[in-house]
Amino acid sequence: MKTPATREAAAAALLERCSDARLAEPGVKNYLTVRLASPKDLLAAARLLKGELGFGYLEMITAVDWLGPMKLEGLVSSRNPNPFTDKLPGPPVPPAAGAGAPYRPVLDLLWSFGNLRDGVKVFLRLEVPRDHPEVPSLAGEFAAADWQEREVYDLLGVRFAGHPNLTKILTPDFINGHPLRKDYAHEKDSYDGD
Amino acid sequence: MNGPAAPAVKRTGIMLSATRYWPTEIWKSPWSLPRYRAGAAWLAGILLGICAVGAAAGELSAWGGRLLALLESTGLPAYATAWIWLLFKLACVIGVIVANGLWAVWWERKISAHMQSRFGPMYAGGFHGWAQTIFDTIKLLLKEDVTPAAADRVMHALAPVIAIAPCVMAFAPVLFGTDLAAANLDIGVLYVFAFAGVSVIGVVMAGWASGNKYSLLGGLRAAAQIVSYELPRGFSVVPVLMFAGSLDLAVIDRAQAGYWLGFLPRWFIFYPVVGQLSFLFFLIASVAETNRTPFDIPEAESELVAGFHTEFSGMKWSLFFLTEYGYVLLSSFLLAVFFLGGGAAPLPGLGFIPSWIWMTGKAMLMMFVFLWFRWTFPRLRVDQLMDFNWKFLLPWCFANIGLAGLILYLLGTR
Amino acid sequence: METDRLIASEPGPELESDTMFINMGPQHPSTHGVLRLGLTLSGEVIKRAAPDVGYLHRGTEKLMETRSWSQCVVLTDRWDYCSAMTSNLAFSLAVEKLLGAEAPPRAQALRVIMCELNRIASHLIFLGTYGIDIGALTPFLYAFREREMILDLYERCCGARLTYNYIRPGGVAADVDEGWIAKCREFLEYLKPRLDEYDALLSFNPIFLARTRDIGLISAETAVHWGLSGPNLRGSGVAYDVRKAEPYCGYENYDFEVPVGRTGSCWDRYFCRVQEMRQSARIVAAALASLPPGELRTKAVPRVVKPAAGEAYAHVEASRGDLGILAVSDGGAAPFRVHVKAPCFINLAILQEILVGKKVADVVAVMGSIDIVLGEVDR
Repeated sequence: MKTPATREAAAAALLERCSDARLAEPGVKNYLTVRLASPKDLLAAARLLKGELGFGYLEMITAVDWLGPMKLEGLVSSRNPNPFTDKLPGPPVPPAAGAGAPYRPVLDLLWSFGNLRDGVKVFLRLEVPRDHPEVPSLAGEFAAADWQEREVYDLLGVRFAGHPNLTKILTPDFINGHPLRKDYAHEKDSYDGD
Repeated sequence: MNGPAAPAVKRTGIMLSATRYWPTEIWKSPWSLPRYRAGAAWLAGILLGICAVGAAAGELSAWGGRLLALLESTGLPAYATAWIWLLFKLACVIGVIVANGLWAVWWERKISAHMQSRFGPMYAGGFHGWAQTIFDTIKLLLKEDVTPAAADRVMHALAPVIAIAPCVMAFAPVLFGTDLAAANLDIGVLYVFAFAGVSVIGVVMAGWASGNKYSLLGGLRAAAQIVSYELPRGFSVVPVLMFAGSLDLAVIDRAQAGYWLGFLPRWFIFYPVVGQLSFLFFLIASVAETNRTPFDIPEAESELVAGFHTEFSGMKWSLFFLTEYGYVLLSSFLLAVFFLGGGAAPLPGLGFIPSWIWMTGKAMLMMFVFLWFRWTFPRLRVDQLMDFNWKFLLPWCFANIGLAGLILYLLGTR
Repeated sequence: METDRLIASEPGPELESDTMFINMGPQHPSTHGVLRLGLTLSGEVIKRAAPDVGYLHRGTEKLMETRSWSQCVVLTDRWDYCSAMTSNLAFSLAVEKLLGAEAPPRAQALRVIMCELNRIASHLIFLGTYGIDIGALTPFLYAFREREMILDLYERCCGARLTYNYIRPGGVAADVDEGWIAKCREFLEYLKPRLDEYDALLSFNPIFLARTRDIGLISAETAVHWGLSGPNLRGSGVAYDVRKAEPYCGYENYDFEVPVGRTGSCWDRYFCRVQEMRQSARIVAAALASLPPGELRTKAVPRVVKPAAGEAYAHVEASRGDLGILAVSDGGAAPFRVHVKAPCFINLAILQEILVGKKVADVVAVMGSIDIVLGEVDR
């Protein structure tokens, strides 16, 4: 009975409590997406979702690097017969004008909260600058955030303040940089052959 | 494209799924398959052949007597005769253990395969892979013997020896047929149990000396388990000893000859309640003693990789293997002697088949039970294993002894 | 930034003298792949457990950014290689959502059939390997015998036995014929008594029950807290199934139940999967009975997929949980960003909490019941 109301009500409550939050347009297709204005609101929003609104199931944490189309110099591809470079990642390139894509030097974080009883979910978005990506950690509120925040840290370099053990999880220790960033260049290492 | 023309690809086969049997097709009735019927006929033929050979050969103990007489007639001094005779018997016992290793491994592979809808070894030697374990032995002999750097070299080399030596010694009084034993000891039961318990030292040494944490855990588990299950194993036989009135295996064997009502053999397993309970307890404790599933926690391969013999390879490893199968054989023969009438025929009128055929057949039946357990049961956890021993098995063994005493009192036989 | 691993290779100062640090994996018979568990033991009791993943990390999310949308489907096969169809489906649904397209009815039904068959195949692997974890070696071969028939069905339909690349954006790759449908029905008939046989052989075996019944308890709150999904969540009594909550591919038209456990023990998770196999067989039978005719691919998905800029999230009930794909397009021929919400990865994290206080033998029981595939954990 309250299934259709829940996610709209949740979005409304979020918009009311968090200053400057707004509905992201366009958001993730077919889902309600609330864009937070600053990292300060995140913990409050998460607590609100978990406590009052019943969205106690943290499904997903991820991020998108909106710097621009990926530079392929450092990667294996047919366009680049000499795939590995000794070069370190260069400075962030200025945003290119894409075909309708909003390229900008930000990491766009995305959280998805689910309400298992009603089977609905709400997405939270938050942009952080690429050169200083720091947001509060949700690991204290949701245990599910533990590894997923480590993954986002490992692959995209977002620092989650207050995470009990923010270390690399998927890539080996000797990999420098964060591979899913658009300006990542692979450094030659002992596994790359001769 | 001006090189030589590529050879035309010739597709001779069709896709696998079109040719492969589905289990639904195989399983409708196995007897409808000629191969299945032929296999059953082979099996029956082999069994009949063994019986025929046995009937023609007669009692092996008589052959032994004749051989001893021949040896004495050569005029050698008495001590030389005794030594030669001793060495001959020792060779026979070791031969039995080694041959059993070859046979049991092949048999276990076959049994497990047929339980798991596989074939098992089919190629080596031609007929159903009969030579598989022989070739495996050659492979093991030729294999590099690795001693880990962290291992204690002396202990590591000594452990398999200490494991297998008591196994060979324990076989001394074991009956392979009526009056067919290497040594005739009047405390045979005690002797067997005493020596079978010594092997655990080799296992603990192996676990400790390997320098591997998994081995260490396996060795410690083995120590706890084997020492614990010695008790129910010993106490479960006490009713048998009470019925037979002796610790001598030959006496126990002879006490089960004859039939009640003309057809029911006087085996100890057929003694009401007590016999069956003793049999069960002894079987369970024996499975635990031989470290086989569901009590194979010392070498639990899903937890401890291979337990105490993780770091052993080549012949050292196969000595452990031989020990395990040796103890399975020992337990099987003990089960046959204690409960299944030893060399006695199961029905009157079958006495023309000699006792060693019956004894071996019963032991093989018991061995099949061991293998059957292994491929059917999951594994217990170490604390559950101990709980089962101390809280269930041992008390009921004592209760069973009391029950045996009650029966003896009521029957007034002793 | 501190980049030390969670697991110290050598005992740190916090270790007492009577504890032992033991490395379970990455080469170990029952870590189901290249998982490493750092266990701190006191005797046989676990004081601290730290799963270490990443040994199979191939960077598929990054690789996808260099490939066209339709080439990416091949990479999805390599995540959960025991259940590649559901990964195909999740990715295809995300792309279709981006394009605003929908697969034709016959393709939808075929997707349901293939995914449910794959769920059966995947759970059969689980059943077999879980039996081995507990020490029962025989059910493994039985389970693989049945799985082999599913693989034969797949081979006959799409040519591949493990990595199918069958479900693609816009539809499916190949059609099934009458012979295939007959074989599939035959398989379903064959499977039912086999599942009863597994129950007799394994599920209700007293030793198996003793090893799994009160072990690895996860309460419903804990399960939600850790974000578990799939049978691990349902084993704790939370009846959440994406097929019911957000039906896709016409799952709302099929009549099936969502089995849930009571206590959240290893056995509950195990038996949820066994029951799911029965339900999946039911769904496949229903889908076969009502397989509509028609084309296999929608015209709305062109040969060169170039979705307009936007983001779409699609998730499916994969064999091991809720598999979600976030696909971000910038209007180019390759994905701008693909994120995989991998259920195995999230389910695995709970090990560090529930293993503490258990015995070494229970590690295997608990880890097996979580049912991970390292290809999906590490991606």
